[in-house]
Amino acid sequence: MTDITTGAPAGRARGGSASLKGAGLLALGIAAALAAGFGLGGDPFLLNLAGYTCGFAIFALSVNVMLGGLGEVPLGHCMFYGIGAYAPAMAMNHAGLPYEAGVAIGMVVAALIAAPIGWLTLHLTGAYFSIVSWGLSGVAMVTALNLDVTGGPLGLFGFSRLAVGPFDLSRPQTYFFVAAAILLAVLVVLYHVRGSRFGRAMEAIRQGPHLARSLGIDVFRERLKALVLSAPIAALAGALSLPYTQIVTPEVMSVLRTVDALLAALIGGVGLIFGPAVGAVIFTILPQFLDLDPNVKVLVFSLLIILVMVAAPGGLHQLWKAAAARLSHARKGDAP
Amino acid sequence: MDLLIQTLINGLILGAGYALVAVGLTVIFGTLHIVNFAHGAFFALGAYATLLIERAGAPYLLAIPLAVLCVAAIGFALEATIVRRALYDQGEHGSIIVTFAISQAIVAAIILVVGPDPLPVPSPFGQTAVSVGGFFLSAQRIFIAAASVAVLAGFALWLRRSVKGQQILAVSQNARGALYSGINVPLIRSLSFLLGIAAAGLAGALMGPMISAFPTMGDANVIVAFTVVILGGLGSIGGAMLGALVIGLGNALFETYVSVSWTPALGWVLVILVLLLRPQGLMGRAQLDRH
Repeated sequence: MTDITTGAPAGRARGGSASLKGAGLLALGIAAALAAGFGLGGDPFLLNLAGYTCGFAIFALSVNVMLGGLGEVPLGHCMFYGIGAYAPAMAMNHAGLPYEAGVAIGMVVAALIAAPIGWLTLHLTGAYFSIVSWGLSGVAMVTALNLDVTGGPLGLFGFSRLAVGPFDLSRPQTYFFVAAAILLAVLVVLYHVRGSRFGRAMEAIRQGPHLARSLGIDVFRERLKALVLSAPIAALAGALSLPYTQIVTPEVMSVLRTVDALLAALIGGVGLIFGPAVGAVIFTILPQFLDLDPNVKVLVFSLLIILVMVAAPGGLHQLWKAAAARLSHARKGDAP
Repeated sequence: MDLLIQTLINGLILGAGYALVAVGLTVIFGTLHIVNFAHGAFFALGAYATLLIERAGAPYLLAIPLAVLCVAAIGFALEATIVRRALYDQGEHGSIIVTFAISQAIVAAIILVVGPDPLPVPSPFGQTAVSVGGFFLSAQRIFIAAASVAVLAGFALWLRRSVKGQQILAVSQNARGALYSGINVPLIRSLSFLLGIAAAGLAGALMGPMISAFPTMGDANVIVAFTVVILGGLGSIGGAMLGALVIGLGNALFETYVSVSWTPALGWVLVILVLLLRPQGLMGRAQLDRH
């Protein structure tokens, strides 16, 4: 899987030009968000979906910290997403706390749970790590099904007020702008993380854990940091899904949610910092406009992902690059 | 006391069914070094193939081998087009994603072609129960246990006695060494994949009448199979059989004496504990080079 590295340099911070490029991308993101927010006009359904997509993109980014960052497949990441969705729901319905407090609690809890889980499981790699991770989310789902505080199989619903400060998330346009702003903030954070010492250590570990260790990198600690970084981001994404779903059920921790995020990350490109976000948009918006049956959607995207993995493990943009390279090669061949 | 014995019998029969799924999974892992997350989908395909062949007029006992052939054919096609290209010797994270995607694609295809609702798979054994020394067993369960024991015994014998079986064992012990000894490793890998998939299909065909066919029927089963295989040590065939019996008994006891609604968590907790405490499993050998 070394091919992924070919996609990496695009998003790497190195010197002034890179941070300038980062600022440019950020401006582009803000412009896109504003255009989408006002361009979608008054259609509340599309705006809500767009808000939800931003949340989903955040989840894909969180999953990609593990996938693109460490080269692990965190099948159980949906657990942190579920914690993030359940925390504000429980805070509002049982404790009478506001939504923001619940979101903050969820993120803290996710990080606190991630630390011991990581400490126990991150010694495992590859399929072993994926299976244990999946297993933990399975246990979490069964727990949510069986407890009373989580509302059992029916879940929690009927939330009092979904708002962040003065911004009322039950208004679709506000929801979208808040979600988009948080998405951009997460992107900025991850961009800086990637350029940091920690980010470069992760990249070294992904390319070769043994070599990284020989260079003095504490592999286990960096892997642990990556999980503890990504868990609250996943929780944030889960919390942001509430205004769209209006309900939390144990299904929120279904492994299929992680798989969706993995697909989004892979389509967008795991080596690119904004790849997962682009993939998330493709993954949710495209089927909406094509009016696909959900099962056709799963079939199409599964086949697409197989194609990506077989032909372009770094993301769809690799196909484009390969085609461009072949084209320019062919032209050169013709010239003399 | 009667309840305990009845529970133990049920557990052993359950375990025999699990063993079939688990052995397929472990053979594929042993030779290809991939964890086949699509195993449950092939299990479901086995049940649906049986159902469709029966609808076409074949009796159940004839439908089983035909269904296994169908599943093996689909497995062969996937092996030749996807698995072979994407997986061999290419880091684990690719194989996890590709097999997961295959699984999702198969489940979605089943829903689109046959429909999402559970369908009964007719069987001549039906719901009849047989009384053995005062304990009741459904005829289908006895059939499942007998068929899986027969198939597994045959398979174990074939592995020991035949040249191809020995070659499979050789490749799972050391693929490079096998290659240097003149064994056609890609062929053996394809063969192992086919055998593993066929075992999953057979398990689906056998279990179908008991749990009826529905698109995601493989999920619960493959999760148990993971438990079994990891408990037994990934790649160890004897371990998979032993693990299946342990899990079958454990599940039956837990269901009877503790709680039905928490049973799904039991398998996961066991998997996690085994992976954390004894990653090489009950009978697997400790790996020297873990990567």
